[in-house]
Amino acid sequence: MAMLVPSQILPQTGETRRLLLKWVIAFLVPVLVFTLVWSGEAILNAALLAIFFPGSFSIAAIAAGLFMLLFYGIITGLTGYLVAADSGRQSLLDLWISMFFFTVVPILLIYITANLFVGLAASVVVWAFYYYGRRLVRRFRPPAPLPPLPSLKVLDAEMRATLLTRARLGSFWFALSFSLIWLLVDLLFYFTGQYGQASLVFLVWILLRSVLLPVAGWLLGSLGGLVAIRHAVPANGNGSNGDRAGAPVSTRRLRLLSATRAREEARDLVPNDLPLRSTGARNFYLLLLLALLVFYPMIDPFLFGPGTDSRLDNYGNAGYYVILALGLNIVVGFAGLLDLGYVAFFVIGAYTWAMVGSPQLTVLTGIHINPDIWPWLFWPMLIVAALIAALWGVLLGAPTLRLRGDYLAIVTLGFGEIIPIVVQNLDKYTNGTNGLTGIYSPAFFGVHWNVSTSEPYYYLILVLIAIVLLANLRLRDSRIGRAWIAMREDEIAAAASGINLTRTKLLAFAAGAFFSGIAGAYYAAKLSTVTSGNFSFSDSVIYLAMVVLGGLGSIPGVVVGALAVYAVNVLVLPQLDALGNDPSSIIYPIYTHILQVIPNFSFSNIRNLIFGIILVVLMIFRPEGLIPSTRRRHELHHTEAEGVEITSLDTPPGAPGFESEMRVE
Amino acid sequence: MTAEHEQAPQSTRQPLLELKKVTKHFGGLAAVQDVDLAIYPQEIVSIIGPNGAGKTTVFNLITGIYLATSGEIIFEGQPLKKASPHQVVQRGLARTFQNIRLFNNMTVLENVLVGEHLRLKASILDAVFRPPWVKQEEEEARRRAIELLSFFGQHLVDRQDEYVINLSYADRRRVEIARALASEPKLLLLDEPTAGMNEAETMEAVHYIRRLRDELHLTILLIEHKLMVTMGISDRIAVLDYGRKIAEGLPDEIRRDERVITAYLGKAATADRQTWQVALRPQPEGEANNHHE
Repeated sequence: MAMLVPSQILPQTGETRRLLLKWVIAFLVPVLVFTLVWSGEAILNAALLAIFFPGSFSIAAIAAGLFMLLFYGIITGLTGYLVAADSGRQSLLDLWISMFFFTVVPILLIYITANLFVGLAASVVVWAFYYYGRRLVRRFRPPAPLPPLPSLKVLDAEMRATLLTRARLGSFWFALSFSLIWLLVDLLFYFTGQYGQASLVFLVWILLRSVLLPVAGWLLGSLGGLVAIRHAVPANGNGSNGDRAGAPVSTRRLRLLSATRAREEARDLVPNDLPLRSTGARNFYLLLLLALLVFYPMIDPFLFGPGTDSRLDNYGNAGYYVILALGLNIVVGFAGLLDLGYVAFFVIGAYTWAMVGSPQLTVLTGIHINPDIWPWLFWPMLIVAALIAALWGVLLGAPTLRLRGDYLAIVTLGFGEIIPIVVQNLDKYTNGTNGLTGIYSPAFFGVHWNVSTSEPYYYLILVLIAIVLLANLRLRDSRIGRAWIAMREDEIAAAASGINLTRTKLLAFAAGAFFSGIAGAYYAAKLSTVTSGNFSFSDSVIYLAMVVLGGLGSIPGVVVGALAVYAVNVLVLPQLDALGNDPSSIIYPIYTHILQVIPNFSFSNIRNLIFGIILVVLMIFRPEGLIPSTRRRHELHHTEAEGVEITSLDTPPGAPGFESEMRVE
Repeated sequence: MTAEHEQAPQSTRQPLLELKKVTKHFGGLAAVQDVDLAIYPQEIVSIIGPNGAGKTTVFNLITGIYLATSGEIIFEGQPLKKASPHQVVQRGLARTFQNIRLFNNMTVLENVLVGEHLRLKASILDAVFRPPWVKQEEEEARRRAIELLSFFGQHLVDRQDEYVINLSYADRRRVEIARALASEPKLLLLDEPTAGMNEAETMEAVHYIRRLRDELHLTILLIEHKLMVTMGISDRIAVLDYGRKIAEGLPDEIRRDERVITAYLGKAATADRQTWQVALRPQPEGEANNHHE
């Protein structure tokens, strides 16, 4: 440690200097915008207040401060990683422009509109324009195609050292620049009197921060470097893909890796042409996302002002859509069974808890449970509701076994209509059109549900989503997952490979229904009333739209799809209305102008129109969905595989490639 | 090469697969009529015949895609009664298709892994909870899939992460065979394995089909149009025409059989033996030499 000679912190080579400049600036701008323009600093100040001034003590504020520290730490580490992992071939300007559009623009938009989803929606629009604008530019000025990565060398000790050094330098310089600029800004404010009576605490904080940040940067850089090295091609096996154990990496293999996976799929490799998309970077993103999700209720007041609770309530609702989308993804995405009646299982799950977890149980069976114990039943009933829904999945799936495609869809559509109506008409059990009320919320130690805050439900849905996500990921990469996908691709070949089609299809229905049962039970508890009349075929369509828009068969895709669809339908459009009616917002003049022409106009009214337009546009320009699975993108944009060596000019008839060569311009 | 195999005389060996008067009607059309066939272990038997003779129908009957109108199919002494395709695979028969049916949007490795479906034991609950034995099973499965791919040399192993749609035709055929092998069959049914291949690829295919029998001790039932291939590789040949078996026997016998020649070339050709003999002459050189020593 005493060996920290100053020359060590100076970049040694021109290339390192360039990389440093590239990435440090790239991240400095958004972080500064977030900290100084938006609320990064406000959060930290509030945290300080909470710690040192007993009058304003608040756990939430301290937690929020903790989040900010995590945030800076992750970004710093990420910068270091990227400096190490970058092959340096992507142009500086390219990166800065991309970073600007993908980080600064959303931050600013969200800040301006003071609304997460409206801001994100606006960002999406901006991104669409940027994306197509960039394509146009590229068409007129095509960039030189990158040759395959030069001989990927197995990392030796010297290269490792270089990578580590680069990572350390990257994080260090980022942290240093950040702290210096911040210091300058703060000093400026202090000396121009903006801070008024800055107390000692703040001065100490500013000083400490300016010293500690670069130190932390150096340390975090080591971490970033380690991540980079871990994802490099090591002497044995193939990087992060641990199951290719033992086979030594031949130069031939490396060449193949280089040629066939150079562009998008070489995520595991270091150096990397697109390090932002690499697996190592994704670790940082996930960490950041996790921190954001966990700490969100505490930082929300700082980011968006009052109304945290209603927002959390909304997110709690969005959450069960995510679970529904994940469940439907199994049926439609993996197994390829077009299910248009998915809402049936949701209703079954909801009513299962509703009938057991409310006074209805007493009505039905005469059993009276101690109200202190009753809510605890939610947890076992969550599983029971899921199992009952799964059972119904099998029952409703069985008649469809011999049907294909459209006919399967019609039968499932029928069930989707029948079940809610049957449930409604069984009014002896389900209280018919009046629905069931007084459904208990779950119980957990020391947590008050639904009383004053939506936080518990928010965290509950986060946990449920995490569990469902994990289950889905495991299912996809398992024997049954492969069977589903094989069945979707070619039933006859699947059967000829030993797959029991009946069993596999029923399992798909059961698994999909299982997850929707979970969502249903959650929904019943959260809303504390269920009315079967609220559900219909159009809900099934919405769930299907979530899956298709997000990316059929892609797990991150359907999560994003669910959030996007929910956001557009429930959050963005009413918010636009609110903004439009608010004289102080930007769109007020446009809004009033439209109202003059169309008196009954409101965004909520044309919700279906907008939703429909979005669907059509998306299906024309990006049919594989927002975040497609690699398979689907491959399937739908097969011609992009031109970069790969095509050893057969003859695509046999019947293979998808055969027809994609006839491009209709 | 058949002389190299220690085989008991056929009369004392149990046939691995037996077709007894198998008949299949589609409405009024008899696609297959009263076909008898017996396949003995570690044989390579070819079914040949003009187009539309019912060869693929026989395959489909054996593998459970069609249900026979009458007749019996007996495998290892037990009848294949109303077996569905996956049950047939379970019994130990695997097949490839005439128009290669691979899972196009899966990689080479994944295609072969699907073939191992029956060998693996993990249920859906096991998949979700992933106990250690499941992880081990998956690794085992991957290892074995790579091993199967390596039967064809290193180049498929090198390309295991490629989507099969990007492979050459000959390679796709190999992957399909590897997938069929993954279920550890006793009898392999190959439907026109050299269709669409040029001479070189055909020779390679003949070579590895023979290796399948020699190295993996499989029994192979083959539908083949290229007479040179069948003459060179088969232990026995059965000839179908209009759904009936019109001849069966050793390659040399079939080559000279009047009925076979008529079926293929019409009556006039029986006079023109020269043409026929030339057409059926086995390859003069190359690895797929059928010198009977």
